[in-house]
Amino acid sequence: MKGILKYFLFCSVSFALLSSCVEDQDFGQFDQIELTPTYEASMLYIEAPETLVNDAPTNIVFTQNFNFDAFSSDVFADRVLDGTVTYIIENTTSKELSIIVEFLDAEGNVLDIENFDIDPAPTATLQRDIAYGDTGRSIEIIKNLSSIRVSTVNESDNNSTSNQADAKIILKSSGKFRVQLK
Amino acid sequence: MTPRKLLVTGLLLASFVVHGQNKQLLYDFIEIPQAAMINPGVITDFQWYSGVPTLSGISFQAGSSGLSVNDIFANDGLDINDKIRNRAIAGMTPRDELSGTFQIEILNFGFRGRNPDNFYTGGMYLEGDAIGYWFRDYAILAFEGNADRLNQRFDLGHLKTRGEMVNVFHFGVNKKVDSDLTVGLRGKLYSSILDFNSTRNKGFFITREGQNNILESTVNADMQSRSSGFNEVRNAVDDGNVGGVLAKRAFFGGNLGLGLDLGFTYQLGEQTVLTGSLLDLGFIYHSNDVFNYTLNGDATVEGVEIILPDAVSNPDTDFWQDLVDEIEGFIPFESNRKNYIAFRPTKLYASLRYNFGEPLDSRANCECGLSASTNSIRAKYTNSLGGQLYMINRPRGPQAALTAFYQRRFGNFMALKTTYTIDKFSFTNLGLGLNLQAGPVNIYAMADNLLSYRNIADSRYASFQLGLNIISWGKK
Repeated sequence: MKGILKYFLFCSVSFALLSSCVEDQDFGQFDQIELTPTYEASMLYIEAPETLVNDAPTNIVFTQNFNFDAFSSDVFADRVLDGTVTYIIENTTSKELSIIVEFLDAEGNVLDIENFDIDPAPTATLQRDIAYGDTGRSIEIIKNLSSIRVSTVNESDNNSTSNQADAKIILKSSGKFRVQLK
Repeated sequence: MTPRKLLVTGLLLASFVVHGQNKQLLYDFIEIPQAAMINPGVITDFQWYSGVPTLSGISFQAGSSGLSVNDIFANDGLDINDKIRNRAIAGMTPRDELSGTFQIEILNFGFRGRNPDNFYTGGMYLEGDAIGYWFRDYAILAFEGNADRLNQRFDLGHLKTRGEMVNVFHFGVNKKVDSDLTVGLRGKLYSSILDFNSTRNKGFFITREGQNNILESTVNADMQSRSSGFNEVRNAVDDGNVGGVLAKRAFFGGNLGLGLDLGFTYQLGEQTVLTGSLLDLGFIYHSNDVFNYTLNGDATVEGVEIILPDAVSNPDTDFWQDLVDEIEGFIPFESNRKNYIAFRPTKLYASLRYNFGEPLDSRANCECGLSASTNSIRAKYTNSLGGQLYMINRPRGPQAALTAFYQRRFGNFMALKTTYTIDKFSFTNLGLGLNLQAGPVNIYAMADNLLSYRNIADSRYASFQLGLNIISWGKK
């Protein structure tokens, strides 16, 4: 009985093989698959009212470190290729202000500094894109980023008030990064 | 080749080797005992039969409704990444699927009862079945990301998959009610080896212009996955005892369930036959080695938000960790070991057959045939022509296939059946089945989607079934 089955299987498989064709396939292409999506999301939002500027004892309105471990986690740092950090600063106070954004590593060393000088209201909106990677600053800055220090310096008086309601200084930021998943 | 490459290549190869679950060639092929497995109410004229253990019924089927191996791996000089983007990500829809099944009969037997109108069947078979729908929005996120896709809603419901490996014990009765009607009923006891399902996922991920910050990211998720058996098998792999654990789970050591098959054959006229069957109307209750995971909730974030001066009242505040904790609080990823019920993929078959040509002498141990006075078993004819319907219950709703067939019998020793089937996989599916009867030895073989053999790599599915039985009609 097994002999019959073997003969039957042999004939069936032989027929299938003889009558079938396979166009040339190249499974080596698997190695060429690139999985490099680009993700974007907001990073840091800081808002300070004009009263904080006027009430500051010196022209340094505030300086503060904010922990930011999003980029230094292995799942991101091991894969990030390049990207851009976008800042938007809106100033509706009556003051000319300087804002300094510093990227720090886990030991507190400064990795990168960005200065923004912003005019008083009503023309005070500023947008800046900072590239990291091959066409910009070193991507190692992003990989080692552990905290962000933001300082605001008042370059004007401390008694004037804006004629705009609810005057404040706002720092917005977002990141757009390409990562290598394969 | 790395194991990962082998796995991916294997899955893709499997997608063209075989397909779906439709056994349109075997259905109502009454010369083959295994036809009773897909219609318990099929007409039988055997006195008894016995499948050769592990060889009586082997079937292997799988399919990919949206893509073939050739679409991606053809040596055509095109960049594979462009092919994936154009043909998979842009070319497939979330209703496209990769599915497969196999079935191996370990034991199959049948015998006629003291009442010759009753025919009993029983046995055991191992079955594996899995389906995964194209998770398009997840693929877009993995290949391209969410950048520059403001307001595009990524549907988390695109993750929809289920699969299982189960050992089935069955016993059924086929009863000839009168010369026109034969009905059948089969009870099944399922012993689940492995099971997983994640089919009721809802939710979305979207990036919009922020209220405060530049961007706002929202996740709304109502997702769950359930599984049983995997932990035990994984431990068995570590211990080098996979065979023992699989055998234990296959023989009532895993999770158990009950099911039912129903079927009938009705003579509308002397040469016209209507048949129908409902298979695997059942469930498995999973309470052993269960692991479930859930992701439920809703969160919208705009990065770390600091509103001065209140935010710095406590200089030790870790805004980043607070944000992470907040998200995890709103959308907790949790696990549990709650028991669950999984329903089997129920299948429906129906056919209308017209027999014509020369009537054949029946092999049945009876006074039957056209010239018989009692005519308790109808005569077979050399030709049969008809249509079949097949439906299966799937996670995205029922899938259907329509088949036209022609069957030709060459005496009582050989029968051929050809089919043309249309379904979501193909409009050009031609199949061929062959049954040989050499004395008591019965051999059958069937293959599907024959046109795809012109370039098998470009096929979105094919299938085969074969088996070996010993049959007796009880005539001396």
